[in-house]
Amino acid sequence: MSEYAFEMKDIVKDFGEVHAVKDGCFSLGKGEIHSLIGENGTGKSTMMKLLYGIYDLTSGEILIGGENPGKLTPKKSISLGIGMVHQEFMLVDELTVLENIILGFEPRNGLLIDFPQARKEVRRFIDQYGLDVQLDKRVNQISVGEAQRVEIIKVLMRGADTIILDEPTAVLTPQETEGLFRILRNIKADGKSIVFISHKLNEVMTISDRISVMRQGRHIGTVEKERTTKEDLATMMIGREVLMNIRTAETSPGEPVLRIEELWTSGEKEMSKIRGVSFEIRSGEILGVAGVDGNGQSELVEAITGLRPVERGSVFLEGRDISRLSPGKKRKAGLAHIPENRNTRGLNRSFSIMENLISSQLDERFSRHHIVDTAAADAYSADLAEAYDIRPRDPRMSTSSLSGGNAQKVVVAREVSVGSKVLIASQPTRGVDIGAIESIRNTLEDVKRRGAAILLVSADLEEILSLSDRIIVMHEGRITGELDKKSANETDLGILMMGGKRTYE
Amino acid sequence: MNNPLGKNFALLEAGRRLFYILLLSLAVGALFILLIKENPLRSYVALFRGAFRGKLNFGNTLANFTPLMLTALAFAVGAKGGAFNVGVEGEVFLGGLVAAYIGIHWTFLPKILHLAACFLGAMAAAALWALIPGLLKAYYRVSEVCSTILLNYVAYNITSYFVTGPMSAGVANAQSLPVADQVRLHQFLRPSSANVGIVVAALVTLATIWLLRKTTFGFKIRAIGTNPLHAEYVGINPKTMLVKAMVLSGVLGGIAGAVEILGVHGYYLDNFAAGVGFNGMLVSLIVKNNLILVPVMAFILGALKSGALGLQQATDVPKSIVDTITAIFIIVGTMEGLFQVSRKKRNKKSEA
Repeated sequence: MSEYAFEMKDIVKDFGEVHAVKDGCFSLGKGEIHSLIGENGTGKSTMMKLLYGIYDLTSGEILIGGENPGKLTPKKSISLGIGMVHQEFMLVDELTVLENIILGFEPRNGLLIDFPQARKEVRRFIDQYGLDVQLDKRVNQISVGEAQRVEIIKVLMRGADTIILDEPTAVLTPQETEGLFRILRNIKADGKSIVFISHKLNEVMTISDRISVMRQGRHIGTVEKERTTKEDLATMMIGREVLMNIRTAETSPGEPVLRIEELWTSGEKEMSKIRGVSFEIRSGEILGVAGVDGNGQSELVEAITGLRPVERGSVFLEGRDISRLSPGKKRKAGLAHIPENRNTRGLNRSFSIMENLISSQLDERFSRHHIVDTAAADAYSADLAEAYDIRPRDPRMSTSSLSGGNAQKVVVAREVSVGSKVLIASQPTRGVDIGAIESIRNTLEDVKRRGAAILLVSADLEEILSLSDRIIVMHEGRITGELDKKSANETDLGILMMGGKRTYE
Repeated sequence: MNNPLGKNFALLEAGRRLFYILLLSLAVGALFILLIKENPLRSYVALFRGAFRGKLNFGNTLANFTPLMLTALAFAVGAKGGAFNVGVEGEVFLGGLVAAYIGIHWTFLPKILHLAACFLGAMAAAALWALIPGLLKAYYRVSEVCSTILLNYVAYNITSYFVTGPMSAGVANAQSLPVADQVRLHQFLRPSSANVGIVVAALVTLATIWLLRKTTFGFKIRAIGTNPLHAEYVGINPKTMLVKAMVLSGVLGGIAGAVEILGVHGYYLDNFAAGVGFNGMLVSLIVKNNLILVPVMAFILGALKSGALGLQQATDVPKSIVDTITAIFIIVGTMEGLFQVSRKKRNKKSEA
């Protein structure tokens, strides 16, 4: 028998043109807790989904218990003792916890489900690992932490001795996280092995035996916990190379244009509520917002742009309180917005390029007695297609078939060409090709040179570092620190992103 | 959308698809006719004659076609704005009632004004009626499907009350007094009930197509109907636009009611519009709310309906076979819709 629960070597996984994993490598020792860390979109989850048989390998080798299992499917992986707790729980809200746990392999008593027997079996796991759950509550009545424990019981009941937890703490409060760690230690003490995916360095340093770092689809290194520090891990995660050719503009920022005061909003999740955020951006300045996804950045952008109600606090544009204006009125007041999701917000995919380019200025600029001024719209969109290199060049084409980069260029062209005083750019280069990244970043620099105030939210730290004049870091809906261009470095950012304090100063 | 070549191409595709659906439905219908041991070919000839041969038959086809085109348009306009408006029938009832009331009582007006008042009154009443589910959906997230289905019953009962009570002509049937002669729409192809309402319907259809394609109002309705999140983000208020789409849908339903009362009946007849709104919805669904194909499909369905009588008279095939063909029409039509949705999803996935 192998000393490893499983090994993955030279893993490559392509999704069409996208290389999700370029050079993956991971091995899990028996009875070990091995963390897999990295920024969003670096291929961590993809690696584990390959192991679990959700995706097929493009190339590479997977050994389970020292043997090649052949083509993997979730069913096969489960039979080989691998269990996965997904980021999104897969529970039936209307059923009870007990019913959810036994769903799919109910113990039977003739035609009936043998609930007493099921209850007895589940109790065994609850007692052995301290997996405290209320078996008779319906799933929609229990907390997220408890739902996660239900998922873990499900995995254990199906006989897993290798358990993969995909960002399990992303949805937990610190107290719940501690509880989860106690459970994980109990499971480990029982001789089972655990893969822990995360990007929170504190947690990783608490729970792991070994830590593997991935960056941009590559395995960067594997270290023993005892021989590393948070700072080292942060540097490994973020890397140092800057590959872009950006014409950064040295401008001297002018008057404050956008001011946020004590802003509070609701959040998609508990940790993404905005809790009293304040900052200002001056003309000719890019303020970067760094942070792990889901710490309130999206909510902040939505609140500023009018897409999410402001609960408390204010947004001022050149001294005018615009906090409670509609998105349309905010646009008229001088706010432009590149949204994080171009498919749902940024574009109407069933409209043409031209229709998408004019939609924000329909009444102001492209309406003649309430009739769409097609001639003006055509000329305008032909100009923009040329200026922003949108391909295909025919603005009458539908946007449904545009590539990610060209689709994003349409969004950027529409937002930037209005000449607004404030530009909110959220993940402006997410999921676009290198060429488009460079052109979009140069556009942002041009907008800054023109004297606009820019709020740049990005999960890509390299982007934040290369474009921003100042950087604020968000963690759980609050600003945990502010750095300026000169003193900002990856390590400090990494620590602030994890909610920590700066170690020196 | 505005690319002339692209537009015609898409229309050609949709037209071809409609033709295939028609053939397939007739083929399946033929199987059913064989099952009851009749000759499908002979039956279809009878159906065709029943729809087109002679003044009466052809006139009835036109008379069926007119309200269907309007109610289908009413549904399609709602659908363009993202609302599934099952309430067109209620709009037709109320529009018809108000047209009848004004037609009977406002005789002090000169002919043209009187006629205009009938139509405007019908449009206003039906628009207000459609405003209710529109507001409920936009501001309280009440499913418009539920509210419009229920409101249909309310509308029917309101009109039924008036025509058996305050507006009753006091004859055996539940009907009102006749409207003034000056507001009757001219009938032709007698003894069928075809009338110049068909011209009204055609003009209204053209105007609606123009409105949705060329105006900023139409742009906004299409924007909220295809992606309300994007519309909100660029500054189009999806809530008010949804309400406006519903109101426009109501206006069209009201016109249908007025045309039926002033053109076909000449008085308000209880339950006169039973099925008209519902069939219009089916027409629109079959052609996937394509405004240009709505009249084509409405004509086909209108012909099938009037042909059914001829079919029953000339053969032993019950006219319910036509309902079967219509049903198959809808099933195939919506099946194609399913294919389209899954293709869209696939595109999205591969793009991500």
